[in-house]
Amino acid sequence: MTDLTTTTENSKPVKGRSLWADGLRRLRKRKFAMVCFFIVLVYFILAGLIYLNEAFEWKISLFDWRQSVGPSYQKPWLDYEWTPEGQDVPEKGWTFFGTDFLGQSTFRKMVYGAKTSITVALCASFISLLIGVPLGAIAGYYRGWVDDVIVWFYTTLSTIPYILLVMAFAVVLRERTIFGLEIKGITAVYLAIGLTSWVGICRLIRGEIIKRKESEYVLAARAIGCSSGRIIFIHLLPNVFHVIIINFSLRFVSFIHAEVILSFLGLGEADKPSWGAMIDAARTELARNVWWEMAAATVAIFFISLALNIFGDALRDCLDPKLRTD
Amino acid sequence: MTQTNDNLLSIKNLSTHFYTEQGLVKAVQDVSFDIPKGKTLAVVGESGCGKSVTALSVMRLIPWPPGKIVDGEILFDGESLREVSEDRMRQIRGNDIAMIFQEPMTSLNPVFTVGNQIIEVVKLHQKKSGHEALGIAVDMMRKVGIADPERRVGEYPHQMSGGMRQRVMIAMALCCGPELLIADEPTTALDVTIQAQILELLRTLQRQEGMSIMMITHDLGVVAENADEVVVMYASRVVEKASAEELFDKPLHPYTRGLLKSLPKLGERKERLDVIGGSVPNPLHFPDGCKFHPRCPLGCNDSRCRSQEPPLKQVAAGRSVACWHAEGYDDKSE
Amino acid sequence: MNEDLLLYNTMKHSSEYLVDVKDLKTYFPIRSGVFSKIVGHVKAVDGVSFKIRPGQTLGLVGESGCGKTTVGRTMIRLIPPTEGTFAFDGEDVFSQPQGRMKELRRDIQMMFQDPYGSLNPRMTVGSIIGESLGVHGVARGKERQDRVADLLNKVGLSAQHLNRYPHEFSGGQRQRIGIARALALDPKLIICDEPVSALDVSIQSQIVNLLQDLQEQLNLTYLFIAHDLAVVEHISDFVAVMYLGRIVEYADRDLLYANPLHPYTQALLSAIPEPDPGRRKHRIVLGGEVPSPSNPPSGCPFHPRCPLAEDCCKNEIQELVSKDGNEHLAACWKA
Repeated sequence: MTDLTTTTENSKPVKGRSLWADGLRRLRKRKFAMVCFFIVLVYFILAGLIYLNEAFEWKISLFDWRQSVGPSYQKPWLDYEWTPEGQDVPEKGWTFFGTDFLGQSTFRKMVYGAKTSITVALCASFISLLIGVPLGAIAGYYRGWVDDVIVWFYTTLSTIPYILLVMAFAVVLRERTIFGLEIKGITAVYLAIGLTSWVGICRLIRGEIIKRKESEYVLAARAIGCSSGRIIFIHLLPNVFHVIIINFSLRFVSFIHAEVILSFLGLGEADKPSWGAMIDAARTELARNVWWEMAAATVAIFFISLALNIFGDALRDCLDPKLRTD
Repeated sequence: MTQTNDNLLSIKNLSTHFYTEQGLVKAVQDVSFDIPKGKTLAVVGESGCGKSVTALSVMRLIPWPPGKIVDGEILFDGESLREVSEDRMRQIRGNDIAMIFQEPMTSLNPVFTVGNQIIEVVKLHQKKSGHEALGIAVDMMRKVGIADPERRVGEYPHQMSGGMRQRVMIAMALCCGPELLIADEPTTALDVTIQAQILELLRTLQRQEGMSIMMITHDLGVVAENADEVVVMYASRVVEKASAEELFDKPLHPYTRGLLKSLPKLGERKERLDVIGGSVPNPLHFPDGCKFHPRCPLGCNDSRCRSQEPPLKQVAAGRSVACWHAEGYDDKSE
Repeated sequence: MNEDLLLYNTMKHSSEYLVDVKDLKTYFPIRSGVFSKIVGHVKAVDGVSFKIRPGQTLGLVGESGCGKTTVGRTMIRLIPPTEGTFAFDGEDVFSQPQGRMKELRRDIQMMFQDPYGSLNPRMTVGSIIGESLGVHGVARGKERQDRVADLLNKVGLSAQHLNRYPHEFSGGQRQRIGIARALALDPKLIICDEPVSALDVSIQSQIVNLLQDLQEQLNLTYLFIAHDLAVVEHISDFVAVMYLGRIVEYADRDLLYANPLHPYTQALLSAIPEPDPGRRKHRIVLGGEVPSPSNPPSGCPFHPRCPLAEDCCKNEIQELVSKDGNEHLAACWKA
C-alpha cells in the first residue's frame, strides 16, 4: 500500500479509486462480455437513429419499412426482377430476408422492430424501477406495518399469472385518455409491462436493505444524527445500486420478450412493425412455406437476448463486491 | 539442523505464489522449518504474513487458479507431500494430518448434524459400519469434553456455542488419530475463558496421543503457554526461529522485539505503549531488500537493509534469524 | 450575556460526573407463534449503573453476550432503552425529544469495532469524515474541506488522501478514519466499541496511543468497551466487569487488577495467556459455556460456572455493593 500517512510535495488531493472504477476495469478485461455489450449497443443505436430519422426526416432508406422493395413474398438471397407500382421498366432486386405480403422488406421491418422493443423495454424498466425501488427501500428500512402492507400488496399482485395481468392492463389501457393524455399503442404496452413487473426488483431491494440496515456504517450514520431519508438515499441505496444494475440488465430481456408476446397477441402497436407482429403473421405464412419473416424476428430476438444475458452475468461477476477474488 | 528422523514434518524452501488479476502475490517465500515428533510448533505472525498459506500448502489445499506451490520440499514422515498422488494426499488428509480452523461456524456444514460430520471422517478413512462409526463419534465427543455426547451427537452446529463447535472440530480432526494436527488460529474467535478451556484440551490430547501440533496464531500469549518451538513470519518470510523460552527471553529480530514490546501486558504500567510504526506491507508491492526495513529502527536508514534481503541463518543451536543486524549473524554461513 | 444566564450556565455544567448511568435495562422481546406474541425477553442489559468524570476513561469488559456493546449503543440511543436513565452533564438523554437528541449527538460520539464494515465503501474518506459537519450545518464548502484535512492530520493520516475510498486503506488506517469521524463535531464523550479488537497486534498499540494522546489534547471522556483486559488495564482509570447483562465488579483500575474480588474477574484475569513462558500461572479454568441472555440462570447468573458457588447462590441475585467502604464494588457475598 502506498504510504498514506505522509504528504508529498505536490499537496493537491489525490484521486481515489472507487469500487465502481474497479468493477468497470475488471469488466473491460472480459473480451467476450465487451463484445456482447457492443452487440446490445448496436440495437440501442439503431433504435435511437430511427427516432432521429423520424424526428428530423432524414429519410434513411434502411429505416423506410413502408417502401415496397419487391414482389409479395419474395424469397431471400435470390436475384429477382420486378416492376414497382407506377413504373413500366422492371428493376433488379436482392433481399437479405425476403419480403412480406405487401412486398415490404422483412429486413427493414426487423430493424424497425428494434426500436419498438428497445423503447418498450427501456420505458417499462424505468417504470418498474420507479415503483419497485422506493417501495422496496421503504418496506425494508421501516419494517413494521409499512413493511407488512407493502409485502401483502405485492404478494397479492404476484398471485395473478403474469401474462394475464399484462394482457389485462394492455387491453384496459389502450384507447384511453388519462389526465388528458391520450395513450397511444406503444405507451399502453410499456405501461402495462412496467406497472406489473416491479415485484421482483421490489423484493430484491427490500432484502438487500434489510441485510444492510444493521451494518456498522449505517449505525455510524445514525450515531452522527443522519435522518432516515439521508440514510436510505446516501448510505443504503448506493450500496445496493449494483444489484439494481444487474437486475436491470437481466430483466431487460424479459421485457423484450413480454413486448413480443403482447404484439403476438395483437395487443401491441398495431400499425408499426414489431418482432411479435412478424411472428404472429408467420403463423399463417408458414403454411405457405414462407419462413423468412419468422426467421428474421427470431434471429433479432435471439442475439439481443443472448448478448444481454452474457453481459448481465459478467456484470454481476464484476460488480458484486463479495465475488471479488482479490 | 536436527536429524530428519526426529522430525515429523520438514519444510524446506517452500514458496507459494498467487497469480491474481492485479499481479503476482508471493504469499510464501523460501520458508523452512521442522516440526519434531510430539512437540508443538507455533507459527506466529500478523495478517498477510503467509502463515495460513503455509499450512494450506502442506495440506495441498491451495486453489489453482490462482495459487500454486512453486518451489520447495515438504517431507512428512519421509514422504514427499509435493510428489504424492492426489489419491494418496486424500488418504493423508484427515487421517495422518488433520486441520482445524478459526471460524467454527463456517467450517462446519450447517445442514448436517455434528455427529454426521464426525462419522463422515471416520468412514472415509476406516472400514467401520455405521453403528461402529457412531460409537467412535460419541467417544470422541466425550474425549473432547462435550457433556452428554449421546444426546448432542444429533445436534446441528447452530444449536451449539462457539466453544462447543470448536470442540466438535477437534473431535473431527482427531477421530482417526493423526500424527500432526494443524490448528489455524483455533481460539482467536473465542472468548478468553473458552480459549483457556480449548488450549487446555489441546495440551491434554497432545500428551495422550503423542501427536505434533502446528499452531498458527498471532497471540504471543498463546505461544508462550503452549509452544515448544516458535517460527516468526513477516511478509511471506521466516524472520526468526527459536525455542519458546529463548524467543521470549532474548528475541533477536527487530520485528519480534518490537512485537513483544508493543504488547500491553497485565500488571505492567507504561505511560505509552511501544509501537512498531507504519503498517504491514501490501503483498503486491513488497519493499526491496529486507521486507521489514521501512518499519525497523535499525534498518530504515541502512543501505544494506534497504537493498539486500537477509537470508535465514542459524546463529546458535536451534536458533535462526534473518537480520543483518542480529547478534552473531555476519560471521555465520547459511 | 446577562448575569443570570451566566450563572445558570455555570450551574448546569458543574455536575461532578459527565456520565451518570442509573439502572440501565435493555430488553429485546422474543416473539413466537402466528401472531408474533411476545413470549419472553432477551435481557441483554439488566440493571447497569456507573459514573464517569470528565476527562477520564471507564473500561467496560466482558465476554461475548455480556451486553457491553448493547450498553454503548443504548446510551447513544441507537437501541431504545427499556428502563433507566443516562444523565449526560446533568441532562437525561433518554427523555429528550428528537430535536434535542440530534444536538446531543454532537457531544456524544461513537467509534466502532469493524474497520471493514464501519465505513461506507461507496463514499470517499473526506465525505465520511465531513458528513456530520454537513448534517449539523456546521461547515460547508472550503471550510468543511479544511476541517476534514485538519482532522486527518490529527489522527496521523495525510490530508492529501481525502478523496480516496475506504478499501484503499489498511485496517489500522481505517480505524483512524473512524476516530476522525467521531472527532468532527468536537464531542465531549466518545464511546469506543471494541476499537482495537479487529486489528493486528502491532497496530493496536498505535491506535491505543493515539486515543490517549487525543484524550489529553482535547479533554475527552471515554467509555472503552473491550474484551482484552490487558489493553483495558493500560488505558482505563476505572474498570467495570460485566457478565450476562450485569456489572459484577467495579473499581479503580489499580485496585481491580491488584485485587480482583469477584470470582469471575479472578477467572478472567487468570485465563489470559501471558507472553512470558517463565510465568506459568495458576489458572482457574471455568467449566461450562458462556450462557445465553435469553435463558439466564436463576439467582446469581454466574453460579453454574463459579468455583465457589453454593446453594444460596442459585436463589439470590447479588447486588453490586461496596466491599471496601469506598469505590471497589463487587456483586458476590463471598468477595
